Amino acid sequence: MRALYLEAIDQHRHRILSFAHYSLRVREDAEDVTQEVFIKLWKHWQKIDHEKLGAWLMRVAHNSVIDHVRRQRPQQENLDHYAEVEEQVGEESDGTHLDRHRFKSQLQSAIRSLEDPFRSIVIMRDIQGLSYEEIQGSLELSASQVKVYLHRARRKLREDRKLRQLFEEQIADRSGAKQPIALVASADKGNGHAQ
Amino acid sequence: MPSNSESTCYFIQLQIDGYLDSDLSEAQQGVFMSHVQDCSACASEFRYAQTVQDAVMEMPQIECEDLVLEPVHSSMKSGRQGQEDVSKGSLLTQIAVLLNTVPLYFRYGLSTALIAVVAVAISFSVVTPIEESGQLVASEPVEQYSPEDIALALQELNVAIDYLNQVSLRTEVMIGNRFLVTPLQDSINASFQRARSRQNDPLQNGPI
Repeated sequence: MRALYLEAIDQHRHRILSFAHYSLRVREDAEDVTQEVFIKLWKHWQKIDHEKLGAWLMRVAHNSVIDHVRRQRPQQENLDHYAEVEEQVGEESDGTHLDRHRFKSQLQSAIRSLEDPFRSIVIMRDIQGLSYEEIQGSLELSASQVKVYLHRARRKLREDRKLRQLFEEQIADRSGAKQPIALVASADKGNGHAQ
Repeated sequence: MPSNSESTCYFIQLQIDGYLDSDLSEAQQGVFMSHVQDCSACASEFRYAQTVQDAVMEMPQIECEDLVLEPVHSSMKSGRQGQEDVSKGSLLTQIAVLLNTVPLYFRYGLSTALIAVVAVAISFSVVTPIEESGQLVASEPVEQYSPEDIALALQELNVAIDYLNQVSLRTEVMIGNRFLVTPLQDSINASFQRARSRQNDPLQNGPI
């Protein structure tokens, strides 16, 4: 049993930590979630359907993340403040690499800001590459719900103002144009329609 | 009211995720791409969606170092929860686990037999105290009455019965008059009255 348990840990540890990392803002919280998940696995080892172990672990991780998000919500405002300060410091430098880095860090922040299950579905599908069946099993949703939520989650991500702004800046830098390109699906949709 | 081109752009932009996931049919892909090539706004939106999607997919898997799992290993070593949970479980839990492993007919048979045993035990416990209580009653000191006392008690009882008979008779008459006799008489009188009036009025006696 012990050997099987250790094997299961080795097989799923990176996936669980990644899921928690992209869901939560603090690295220590993600590690706490990972530990909680594997301690629960040990406790419930006898009762688990081992053919669906991956889905069970992701479900436990998902629930644990939700608990952490609820617990951490009052502290998040402070963390957001620190993130903004970091961003301001970062903005003083320039360069394509830095732009890409800023874009990615803003994207991570946007993902973490998504409500559940949108956040979990984006992480599981687009970052971790889980199949729709695995996501269904983990989140106890139907196949159609997973697809609908995934598309909605991606749209919500694209609606992030800072993310769009960074993208427009990158495009403007590349093309040499000073005016950002007007987009149809932005908040002021239709104003800058090209046709 | 959106113009035709705006609604086309709207529907094309709704299909962006489908295109990125290769969920569109060939025909839909053709329509999608030809529109995106002609429309700069949709092209920009598509480029943005693709950039975001690529960036999300490029996000690396986070390595879980051994250090992170140290508390898990130490908890496993010290606790041995997985196996002990079952062994430490209550008697009922153990019975439930044991029952889950045996066939269904055995489970039902066993539970029926248990119920039968309990029922027999209960019936014994219910019957036995009666016998015991009988013995108890017999052993208790019984109060002795003289024949005079008994005769007096019988007289008092007869008086009480007579009184109750009178009361019930009176009540019966009252109830009978009010609820049975009087309404019955009224009803019969009314029937006679109707019959009489019908005989006097020839129009009431039609062929039908």
